[in-house]
Amino acid sequence: MSIRKYFGIGVAVLFGVVLSSCNSNDDLGSQDIEIPGVTFDGDIDCCSAEEALQIYRFIQTVKIIPELSVTIDDKYNVYAYTKSGSFHNGYNDIYFVATKKKNGNYIKNFDITALKPVMLMVKMNMKHSTPVSAGVSSFNGNYLAVKRGWISFVMNTSDAGSWTLAFDYSILGSKGTTSETDITVDALPAGQAWIKSFKVGDDTYYLSLVNPLDSKTGKNTVTAYVSKKSTPATTPYSLAQEQFEIEIDPRMPDMGNHTSPDNVALTLQSDGSYQGTLNLTMTGRWRIHLTVKDAQGKVVAGGDELSDGYSSLYWEISI
Amino acid sequence: MLITALLTTVLVTDTVTLDKVSNLDEVLIVSNEGGGRRRSVKGQVASIDEHLGELRNVNLVRRGSYAWEPVVNNMQTERLSTTIDGMKIFYACTDKMDPVTSYVESGNLQSISLNSGLNGNPQATGNIGGSLDLKLRKIGFEAGPRQINLSAGHEWNGHLQVYGADAAFSGYRAYLNTGVFSRAADCYQVGGGQLLNFSQFSKVNVFANAGLRLTDTDVLEGTVIFDRATDVGYPALNMDVSKAQGFITSLSYKHQFSNAGWETKAYYNHIIHIMDDTTRPDVEIHMDMPGDSWTTGLYSLLTTSIGDYNAALQHDVAVNHDLYYNRLFADMTMYPGGAAPMYMVTWPDVGTFNTGLALTDDVSFAHNQSLRLSAKVAWQQQRLNNEEGYHGQKVFFPLMTDRYYQTTGRIAAAYQFSILNSHFSIGTGWGSRAPTVTEAYGYYLNNTFDQYDYMGNPHLSNESAIELNGSAQFSTFNSKLSIGLDANAFFFKDYIIGHLDSRLSAMTVGAEGVKVYGNLDHATIVNASLTADWQVAERLAWKGKLSYSLGQDDEGDALPLISPVAWRTQLQYSHGRLQSELEVRGNARQVNYAAKYGETETYAWNIVNLSVSYRLKAVTIRGGAENLFDKNYSAYSDWNNIPQKGRNIYLNISIEL
Repeated sequence: MSIRKYFGIGVAVLFGVVLSSCNSNDDLGSQDIEIPGVTFDGDIDCCSAEEALQIYRFIQTVKIIPELSVTIDDKYNVYAYTKSGSFHNGYNDIYFVATKKKNGNYIKNFDITALKPVMLMVKMNMKHSTPVSAGVSSFNGNYLAVKRGWISFVMNTSDAGSWTLAFDYSILGSKGTTSETDITVDALPAGQAWIKSFKVGDDTYYLSLVNPLDSKTGKNTVTAYVSKKSTPATTPYSLAQEQFEIEIDPRMPDMGNHTSPDNVALTLQSDGSYQGTLNLTMTGRWRIHLTVKDAQGKVVAGGDELSDGYSSLYWEISI
Repeated sequence: MLITALLTTVLVTDTVTLDKVSNLDEVLIVSNEGGGRRRSVKGQVASIDEHLGELRNVNLVRRGSYAWEPVVNNMQTERLSTTIDGMKIFYACTDKMDPVTSYVESGNLQSISLNSGLNGNPQATGNIGGSLDLKLRKIGFEAGPRQINLSAGHEWNGHLQVYGADAAFSGYRAYLNTGVFSRAADCYQVGGGQLLNFSQFSKVNVFANAGLRLTDTDVLEGTVIFDRATDVGYPALNMDVSKAQGFITSLSYKHQFSNAGWETKAYYNHIIHIMDDTTRPDVEIHMDMPGDSWTTGLYSLLTTSIGDYNAALQHDVAVNHDLYYNRLFADMTMYPGGAAPMYMVTWPDVGTFNTGLALTDDVSFAHNQSLRLSAKVAWQQQRLNNEEGYHGQKVFFPLMTDRYYQTTGRIAAAYQFSILNSHFSIGTGWGSRAPTVTEAYGYYLNNTFDQYDYMGNPHLSNESAIELNGSAQFSTFNSKLSIGLDANAFFFKDYIIGHLDSRLSAMTVGAEGVKVYGNLDHATIVNASLTADWQVAERLAWKGKLSYSLGQDDEGDALPLISPVAWRTQLQYSHGRLQSELEVRGNARQVNYAAKYGETETYAWNIVNLSVSYRLKAVTIRGGAENLFDKNYSAYSDWNNIPQKGRNIYLNISIEL
């Protein structure tokens, strides 16, 4: 509860800062910046007032997941955020911020070295993990003290099973693993399917579509990850080492499988992601039918034809 | 005075001398003007569409019983200019369900004038086929203290009911015309008696035109028209219209110099058009398809006469500068049962700023010859204001931008001379037009004519045409008999029409595929007509007209919507206050239909119409029967071959107080 209060005040302060900044061309002097709970005491591990304000502004754009807030060694606090304040099936960006307890200020250098989601399948008494990013990293020069990673949940929380999440941290010399915390993964509404799997021999791969709701009418650069199921399955699934090419064929099932021209297959990028071009002629429900080829160009998944004539392997987005 | 000569008993030579230039045609709506020009046998009660049908080179594309699309010289809206008293106005429906002529009512107008071909009226832009100007009804100053007209009409087929009341007040300082009209019909019966579903409509219209004399030489004039059609069925289409509403307004200032007149008019109009498929059975996907058109503009027209009226040479010169800004926005939301709604922008809020300079010179010389010269140059900028629509189209045209510029122009000359009782004219011209918003930026617009979805093409070239025309009219010395031959030919370069792109996937369920607008290297349209007028006896007159048209694309194949051989003949009898007319009209089988462009063949037909009118002091009663023998037929211009009205008996009454 205290965190919410903290943010409520923070928004008011931020508003004040923005207003005052509108009134003059002066650089914001540190004496002008006040963030409740944050003391600028010159601690070199922590952000300057300007840097802290950037972090603060970023935090307004996401929502905290309260159950993942932890205190480490009674010195540091770590907070986790997602866009919606919850997790859902498929790809989720997750953001971390660490503060010092003594001054409440954001720590510049810290690391979350591993994300460890695990699902317990109650009926079968089996456990498995899900695709995750290899640790976290800064993603925007303005937000150096915010780290981003991702988790792509293969299933949502249900009667069949529930999820826990732990993570490995490294903060100014303190290293460890948090306890397994219960989290809830929401099901996606109808018309949304953002993670799909395929098998090559005995290996299972997962195709995670990144932030599909960012797609708009027109030309979209789409990003996806290909992860490989680990052995044992409780180990988080990391990116596949094998190289693939993912051909896409977007179709609107509600419009007689209308499609768009000039879509470009997703190919492997230097950062480990796959990128391609998805053209959408309108908003609504799109099925993005997939044909996965291996490095030799051999079709390894999808590309079959359902009764409607399109690949049975598809993502579905409703925008 | 109410109608003096409903049926043309005036000699043909009068008609011609009234029209200074042979390619000007006019249909009168108000009765209190001199005879000799065309008018509808239904009088003022006739719809705008029926009045338009009286014009020489006009056919009408019919998608239902309301809002017909005028076709001039076998060219549709995109190759025509339509203005209301010089004001630009653009339709708001992506499916062309609302030609701008549907936003006025007969009672708003004095006349409709048509300049055939490139020799357009000064405000016309892009008028390759012709320019229509709907002239508003203005009684003017000192024209009698007041006039009140009441009219009512009923047509049995479809129970069409028309009611109108208008009043005119005129004094030295001010004048006012104002009126209210309503028109409503149920579905009509086709020949044979079957009801044609979704052919109903209703509309109301109110208007006011007012003038104020500021000084002896300065006049202020204003116009307000509000027109709203509701529950309009379109049996030829998959959708109807729940509301088509036009608001038209203008303010003009006129100054009279000693030898010149100067008029400057500012105007604004807004059209809202909302399609509706909720009353249709078996709709696969319900859709909302609203469209909006806003136009604001200005023109300034200077007219002057140079030379003595009695001298051998006289110039009537008009210089016109106009500018307008038009915005067109339309979108579509589709609701599949259960799944997410689908949305697309079909006209991406295109803002068109256009400005043009026009010059016309009517030269009369040697008392029997005249030369009309006209030229216009126009420049326009277009901007796509809607991001979503712009990005959608950019998928298909990755190199497109959100801003385009076009320059268009026209120049035309017509020479006319009279010798004895015969008249001859020849004319030529060149003109170009910019692609329309639909042609350049339309997005998946389903065309039910050929069942293709149409994509606009922002990279289109301007279309241009060279026109040649000529006419000859021979009359006997006593003018009892005259025979006329009229012909024009348009040689197009970069003719704009849809081309199949088999790579693209149709959006509309049931559509055959996607066509993208493109330029044909060349195309030709030729029209010719033969007319005869014979004053058989003092009270008996006969008229006949036979017309032939040809349209060819660059491969010699037929263009769509080109009229087959058509004829119309009228026998008119007048005796005192009684006027009557027997008319036969018909078309030959459409031999050269454009199978390549999705057109289907239309069969030959003939119908017989009968009309009678009787005037008793201030009251005129008109009655008649259309399609007397209840023939089941459709004309080539009936969209998807929807059948025309079967036998229709009508009766209407006009009272002038």
